[in-house]
Amino acid sequence: MAGQSDPHFSLFSAEEVEFMAEDEMIEIVPNMRMDPLNLLCGDFGPFLPQIATQVPLWLAVALKRRGKCTIRPPEWLSVEKLTEALEAERESPRVFQPLPFHYVEISRLLFDHARDDIPDIYMVRSLVEDIRNVRFHKIEINLEEIQGRAHAVKIKNLSAMEVNIVRPFVVRALQAFYKHDSPEMIDQSDTTANRRPQVADHVPRRVVRR
Amino acid sequence: MGHYYDIDDILIEEELVSVVFQKAANGVGILDPGAETSTVEQGSKVELPFWLAHELHLRQAVSVNVPACFDQKTRKEIQADAACVDLRNRCAYFYELGCKIAPLVGDKTIGALLLYAFKSRYKDVLIKAHTAAFSLAPKFMTLLTNEETNLYEAAQSSMAAFKRWRMGGARFQRAAVLGKKRRPDD
Repeated sequence: MAGQSDPHFSLFSAEEVEFMAEDEMIEIVPNMRMDPLNLLCGDFGPFLPQIATQVPLWLAVALKRRGKCTIRPPEWLSVEKLTEALEAERESPRVFQPLPFHYVEISRLLFDHARDDIPDIYMVRSLVEDIRNVRFHKIEINLEEIQGRAHAVKIKNLSAMEVNIVRPFVVRALQAFYKHDSPEMIDQSDTTANRRPQVADHVPRRVVRR
Repeated sequence: MGHYYDIDDILIEEELVSVVFQKAANGVGILDPGAETSTVEQGSKVELPFWLAHELHLRQAVSVNVPACFDQKTRKEIQADAACVDLRNRCAYFYELGCKIAPLVGDKTIGALLLYAFKSRYKDVLIKAHTAAFSLAPKFMTLLTNEETNLYEAAQSSMAAFKRWRMGGARFQRAAVLGKKRRPDD
């Protein structure tokens, strides 16, 4: 699946990533009575007043906008959990905490549409913002380590939006490294290594099998 | 040869490189501004665009010199502090031209020089692209080669797109026809 907004680079726009995040399930408490919805993506409901049920985020937001339900914020979107996560993020400069894959988008949708359902919304909002900033800084630190003929960068527990932001940059950077560190350009220079010692100390390269 | 329709590839090949004619060439005095007749003498030094130099080199009519942007002075500057070297001024297509010219001139250190320069300048681009304010950018941008500028802009535009999304704005876009009221006489 490729992004539709920019056919040239097959990139996703932030709105497209948000669209995908809307398929995540979330718990709502309806205040009306409605038969089950039988949709292509699954069956949801039945909707009974005060009986919690699981629906996709887009449906939750649609019902919320009509005042037909309250949304129960997910467990991770609470002051305690976020404070814990933020501290853990700050403590380990390399490792990322396992947050939901779409945490940026989900939190933004909930802040926009269900602000009255989230306790301590200002605190929660600034915590999410802090976590995002800390994590993004860590991504940059991780990316600084791209060297030579890398085929990929491995960073665990990145979220969808974070990957999406760095994608155009990383793709280009990897292509450039791949080109400049190609064996045709470099291997010849090993014979003259003594002239430029600080340039030529290469780890042995693996040749990609075709 | 590169990609036929790639405008950058065409522009790279427009870069001038200095060559020495190995043979006297008749009727092409226009190439050599110092020539008094229409003949380019053997051994005369002429600046030619890369695409012409390349073809003539294949026919062994000329020998290609290492362009000025890969000379010892630039190399020393790159070794001292690669991030501050004004590569754009020297050659906007520093890396691409280097890749193309290395096999022609038979200088085996160019590949390593390019990699070293890119490696050390890449970090600077990475850090500045995501964090620097737009007002700071122009000064820094003047140092970057074309390839680095592309990299920088890729990072900056995706960051800007994310910020735009986060700030909100029109979440639903209406088609222009939907908003219009129908007039009774329609």
